[in-house]
Amino acid sequence: MKTLVIIPAYNEEKNIAATVTELRRSCPALDVVVVNDGSRDATGELCRAMGVPVLELPVNLGIGGCVQTGYRYALERGYAAAVQFDADGQHPADALPALLEPIERDEADLVVGSRFVGGAGFRSSAMRRAGIIFLSGLVHALCGVHVRDITSGMRAAGPRAIALFAADYAQDYPEPESVLAAGLCGLRIREAAVEMRPRQGGESSITALGGAYYMIKVSLSLILRRIFFRRG
Amino acid sequence: MLSHTAQISMLIALAFYAAILLTLLRNKRLNLRYALLWIFSGVLMLALALFPDILPAIAEMVGIVSHTNALFALVFFCLILILMSLTAIVSGLNDKVKKLAQDNALLEKRLRELEQREDEP
Repeated sequence: MKTLVIIPAYNEEKNIAATVTELRRSCPALDVVVVNDGSRDATGELCRAMGVPVLELPVNLGIGGCVQTGYRYALERGYAAAVQFDADGQHPADALPALLEPIERDEADLVVGSRFVGGAGFRSSAMRRAGIIFLSGLVHALCGVHVRDITSGMRAAGPRAIALFAADYAQDYPEPESVLAAGLCGLRIREAAVEMRPRQGGESSITALGGAYYMIKVSLSLILRRIFFRRG
Repeated sequence: MLSHTAQISMLIALAFYAAILLTLLRNKRLNLRYALLWIFSGVLMLALALFPDILPAIAEMVGIVSHTNALFALVFFCLILILMSLTAIVSGLNDKVKKLAQDNALLEKRLRELEQREDEP
């Protein structure tokens, strides 16, 4: 199966080389593309030096616009599956086969890598977990899809999800909203257990102060998306 | 009812307003599409300054006792309309910039691949 690994990267020069090396070692059959979101450091140069294909965004679009570029690339090149994979070392490359399996067998259109299913591994703070439980419940209430690790940025997409995300993807904090969008369009969504690691460097996109803003913004955009959703 | 002083002040202010608006339009520093709401607001204020009887009628209709307050309410309403349209315009531009940046990244990738292929054989 022709599969693309999309790595969104913004100022990730400290981690990108290790991430790509790990991916190449444990999944040599997968194509990799780094989407450089207007980094001001050497992320792009490092990737080119390693011979990794890079999509260079001329300006910083934020995570949503960055990941969407990867999905548009996957659609343009006719990939049958695309995996979103963080550059910061949180996502283990050896979990990718398990993530891709349901798509390969055509049992799911979207598989979310989840910290809360099965395996132990890295866990986050109580506040963060409470927020995730709330958003997960909200998405469940809005479209009937139950994904426990709703904010996980590690997910595999089949052809239908690739086409959907290439056409429409939320711009900031897109993870819960993209699951809702997929759920509303009737895509089959699954979760797969992944043992995440603490990030190797850099900072989370969600700070303590931004937590409340994050919750309000994401909840509102989820509800609005549900209200304005039209089938077909 | 507006006092004559207020009427004259309004007309002077409107003359300045129109002069600035026309200068911006003539120098092409303001797109007519985005100036329509400003023109509309100016015409409304001009009508109020020239025909002061309109204001008490409006004030009575919407239940505002003081006529000057009705004038303020109208001005606020115009400003809010203009601000909302600005936010809508910015959102539209944001979508266009995003699309263009992504297209640029995808095209740049294809160009680099083409150049590489040309170098090889």
